[in-house]
Amino acid sequence: MTETVAVHPVDPFDAHALNAAEGLDSVDPAFSHVLRITTLFNMLPIAIGATVLDVMVVREVGGPYGLLSVLAWLLGVIAVVTFPARRAQRWGFKIGEGQLRVARGWLFRTDTIVPFVRVQHIDVGQGPVERWFGLSHLVVHTSGTHNSTVTLPGLRADLAAAMRETIRRHIQTDFA
Amino acid sequence: MTDGAAALPAEAAAEPEWQRLHPATLALAIVKLGPRTVNFLPALAAIGIAGKWIYVLPALGAFLLISLVVAWFAWLRFRFLVGSDEIVIESGVFARQHRTIPFDRIQDVSIEQGLIARALGIAKVGFETGAGGDKKDEARLDAIGLDAAQALRTTIRAHRGDTVPAAATPTSGEDADEATASPATEDRLLFAMSPRRLLIAGLFNFSLAALAVVGAGMQLFDNLLPFDFNIFNPVDWFDLAERYGLEQWIVAHRWVAGVGALLSLLFIGFASGVLMMVLANWGFRLTREPRALRRTRGLTTRTDVALPVRRVQAAILVTGWLRKRFDWHELRLQSLARDGEKEKDHQVVPFGHLSEIDPVLGEIAIRRPDAAQPWEHSHRVIAAGGLFGALCAAAGGTIAMLLGQPLGGIGIAAGALIAAVTLFSARFHSWTDLPDMVAIRRGWLKPKTTLLPHASVQSVDLKSDFILRPLGLATLVFGVPGGSALGSHEIPAIPLATAQALRTRILAARSRA
Repeated sequence: MTETVAVHPVDPFDAHALNAAEGLDSVDPAFSHVLRITTLFNMLPIAIGATVLDVMVVREVGGPYGLLSVLAWLLGVIAVVTFPARRAQRWGFKIGEGQLRVARGWLFRTDTIVPFVRVQHIDVGQGPVERWFGLSHLVVHTSGTHNSTVTLPGLRADLAAAMRETIRRHIQTDFA
Repeated sequence: MTDGAAALPAEAAAEPEWQRLHPATLALAIVKLGPRTVNFLPALAAIGIAGKWIYVLPALGAFLLISLVVAWFAWLRFRFLVGSDEIVIESGVFARQHRTIPFDRIQDVSIEQGLIARALGIAKVGFETGAGGDKKDEARLDAIGLDAAQALRTTIRAHRGDTVPAAATPTSGEDADEATASPATEDRLLFAMSPRRLLIAGLFNFSLAALAVVGAGMQLFDNLLPFDFNIFNPVDWFDLAERYGLEQWIVAHRWVAGVGALLSLLFIGFASGVLMMVLANWGFRLTREPRALRRTRGLTTRTDVALPVRRVQAAILVTGWLRKRFDWHELRLQSLARDGEKEKDHQVVPFGHLSEIDPVLGEIAIRRPDAAQPWEHSHRVIAAGGLFGALCAAAGGTIAMLLGQPLGGIGIAAGALIAAVTLFSARFHSWTDLPDMVAIRRGWLKPKTTLLPHASVQSVDLKSDFILRPLGLATLVFGVPGGSALGSHEIPAIPLATAQALRTRILAARSRA
């Protein structure tokens, strides 16, 4: 929180510089693989659907046969190959000084701080894809209506567990 | 939130005191059946269309009978027990639900009476526990006799009253806090609405929405009305004039018909405003009780709601561009509890002067910033979103006009209007930081001031995007417990360094006690 902020432009394509400038730690690099596989699972049905549509409909009505398939697969490949690594790099977090700080995104960047004393309860979760890479995500619940859950993905499982313990020691409820 | 520890004692000893809901509840169930038969209408229609009209009445009868039997079973299987320090509710026809609520955990008891319930002398009782979340999940008794409801509330209050002096031990620190935080020991009247005040408030409550409903209704039932007269139709005014032999004069002065239509429009607008205000706020009383603000109001549906002072998270002052000039304001309080099923926050002063609102704010330890307080403005770039919307509307309108649809002009006009309003309103976004709270002002047509104690803030987002970042700006969004009609609390587009400093200061605050 004491960092001086470079009002000026950190190179948007160098994410480590971004996190460093804001005094944040980066998430585990393996998280980009998790994102990549998740994206793959999302894009595959779309691309296949587009191809089916192409074969079944576009060819029948004599439209530009093949265009849709090529476009869908191309976009899918780009989405799977390029973006996940960047999206992963733009997650940043900092734990300490009695608070958890989570930042995400670039085009729309959100930097959230949750003081430990405001945490209602904590989850550590692990999806099947995350398990392959030994990662977990930490979910912090607050009683605020906005930000009732703050999720920090891409943590090594042991780190996530350690963070949970750190936060747990501070939890105290102030509502009757 | 309900803990098991307090639920242990002597259930067996109290066993014989099980009570049922008031039998009149069944009468209420019959009334409630009315609207529900609407669901049944398609089935009836199907039978009718099939040509079997003879079955319609028996089918309806069977439906009503089954519903009544179900209601009766539900009534039979619902019982509750008021123990010495807890209330136990058992419900469910097949799947039984057994719920124990220790008195310690009941923040307060709300009592609500609809029109029919008042005629029957019964009331719906809601138990306000600390548990956030859905109102559906709250324990309720629907319904018991009014005197029983009041007795129950007295019992629970008395119980809480007992625990206060005993609670100096750190084990129930929350009670100790409360005892020091609220020195008030007896009920004091904080605010009331006189009939005259209701009338003034109603006039400011000029409602175009109700007008639209009346207009639509007039269109719909034009042929059904006993009098063949649509006040929105100038032709009808001609007819009226004709009947009284004023025809010649009217034809000469056509504008009179227009004025007539306009006047009745205005009349309906004002009348519906007054009516709505009177229905909602008749006999409005806000009192300070030992640990809560208690509000009773309503003409047909009378509600009695208590809002625990300690659970108030933020105060919101709402006014209008016109009523502001006459120093009329509305005060709403945001807390974990919802106000009934519809409202997200509690209206505690529907219509009052600032001098009347200040004492109420004083009760919840929030002080309005004084006139000398310097306010800082948000950057005008916040108009960008609205301007983009305006641009889209104008573009759509232009395309429509190019395609030969003259109605596209409306889009262009709307775009221009939206742009003007956005640009103008953007100047009214401002904020100021007081020692222990932040105040946020926004809006011109309906200015809203949010008074947000630092201690209520659970989390802070600092947001920036591709528009704000190059300008060195950021938006602060606060996570605050409970909902409000405003949605989230935010200070948009302020300098990044200011935003970071403010965030640090707010998060340093202790929790609200």
